[in-house]
Amino acid sequence: MTFYIFNRKGRCQYYHEWQRLKPVRQGAGSQEEDFKLMFGLCWSMRALATAIDPKSPSMKQMGAPMRIGDGCSFNSIKTSSFKLQFLESPSGLKASWRMPGSGGQPCWGAGCFVLTTDPSVGSMVEQLQYIYASLFVELVVKNPLYTPGEPFLFEPFSAALNKYMRALGLLS
Amino acid sequence: MGKNRECAESCIDYLALALVHHYRTQGQGPSLQAALDAVGERTGRQLAERYARDRPPLLDQLEAVKFVCKEFWGEVFRKAVDNLRTNHRGTFVLRDTQFRWLVRLAQNQMPAQVGQPLPAPLSKADLAADFLVLPCALVRGALAQLGWDVAVTADATSLPQVDFTLVIRQQPQR
Repeated sequence: MTFYIFNRKGRCQYYHEWQRLKPVRQGAGSQEEDFKLMFGLCWSMRALATAIDPKSPSMKQMGAPMRIGDGCSFNSIKTSSFKLQFLESPSGLKASWRMPGSGGQPCWGAGCFVLTTDPSVGSMVEQLQYIYASLFVELVVKNPLYTPGEPFLFEPFSAALNKYMRALGLLS
Repeated sequence: MGKNRECAESCIDYLALALVHHYRTQGQGPSLQAALDAVGERTGRQLAERYARDRPPLLDQLEAVKFVCKEFWGEVFRKAVDNLRTNHRGTFVLRDTQFRWLVRLAQNQMPAQVGQPLPAPLSKADLAADFLVLPCALVRGALAQLGWDVAVTADATSLPQVDFTLVIRQQPQR
């Protein structure tokens, strides 16, 4: 079971694995590659879902840049060996904050929360919402030392996440 | 908590953080200390004026400090001061055991690059120093508006507890 937080640009800000039977080296090759593949999967799925959405009033080409909240998103992907649960958060708070030295690029807050679980686990949209609203926003975003968009490792957040996962009964 | 209230309080939280980050990264213009001192003092004065509006004048030193501990602290830091000590000779120590603005402070344990060593652990007091400039200035401004010239320092060695030390410098100007 693994957990990722990606920012809007695809950079992995937070990663934790509780149980990963196949080591990364045998799969993606390296941690960096693993992050790229995971983000690529989520991004492509979202683009695909928006493109084939039968209800959307606006017609978007696949691959066209999407604004936050545009198009439809997917909740989960289930395979024979794992289930990938996905949540896209609303835009980060300091969406237009300019980081010095980065040539005036806007820096985005967290974008995607990804959790892989056993396939038998049900929908975890509400749980991911809780992790976002009550754990991430409270313990990370409100931490004066958090830099939006950057990888982080804050002990209060890690501890609270572990405690929540244990309370949900997902950790054996 | 109502949605409007939560939104308003979050705005203040984030504004306070953003102010520090802004002045930290400024290459030119006033230093963080000077800028936040000025902002805090002015804001503290205006807030004290507003909160003390409907009350009778606070003539006593202790009354003024108690007003800061209860009403002012409640409005600005959303809870009252937990403990007030004084030597009755112009020095007061205000203890807030869960200082709301800094209760989420935690050091980032992430190394700068993969494979590099973990960052050295910093004391919480060092990490909090920049974020305490504004609160100290707010308190100073509030008491100045009530007529007392004080020097305010903060001690954050045992976060989330913060001790604010007030030293009254002179008699009020009336």
